[in-house]
Amino acid sequence: MKLPSWQSSPVAEMRAAVRLQPEDFSVDEELAALRASSKCMGGIATFVGCARDFSEGRAVSEINFDAYPSMAEAEMKKLRAEAIEKFALLDARIVHRVGTVKAGDSIVLIATGAEHRAAALQACHWLIDELKKRVPIWKKEITPQGDSWVTPHP
Amino acid sequence: MIRVLFFGPVAERVGSRDMQMQFEPGITLQDIATRIQSEHTSALDIVSFIAVNNQQTRDMQLPLTDNDEIAFMAKFSGG
Repeated sequence: MKLPSWQSSPVAEMRAAVRLQPEDFSVDEELAALRASSKCMGGIATFVGCARDFSEGRAVSEINFDAYPSMAEAEMKKLRAEAIEKFALLDARIVHRVGTVKAGDSIVLIATGAEHRAAALQACHWLIDELKKRVPIWKKEITPQGDSWVTPHP
Repeated sequence: MIRVLFFGPVAERVGSRDMQMQFEPGITLQDIATRIQSEHTSALDIVSFIAVNNQQTRDMQLPLTDNDEIAFMAKFSGG
């Protein structure tokens, strides 16, 4: 069964702080947007998830991401709001790709900014862990031995 | 009508990303699941989450309303 072809949404073009998008993202641009939101920021933490070219002993050429777009974006927005409240962040950005991601390319970006480093680092860690548990996105690894949906890791 | 959505591994098992079902007064989430299972045996075995209109629920006796959107979802594996 063919997965849908993902297209840029108007939201992505406006560079929203939270978005799903098929195209790669620029970490520099996301960090610039984060820094522009406040001059009180003393620490920024980032997490970039990348597509490995192997998994459980098999070569992986690419990963296909499927998502429930409306629910995924709503949940990502909720996560951002929760993180800002929980860790007293000045700002946070979450970008996740959908569609085909080649081995070596970026999958997800989490960027958090706070007055001090501890809050930024803790929030970044919390956000990626919660995203994996709560956001309806599924990945399928494409390998020479065939395709397989990934079972979530803790 | 009730719109039922499938994604990722569940869509692959069902062989479709969505289907429409006739709304009937009193119909529940369980009724929808039973209908799908009767046509696609074991397709819902990997379902861990169900959402009605973007809100997760575990209440299979939830009465549905016309134009509801239901998603049957496997465990998430994003990130």
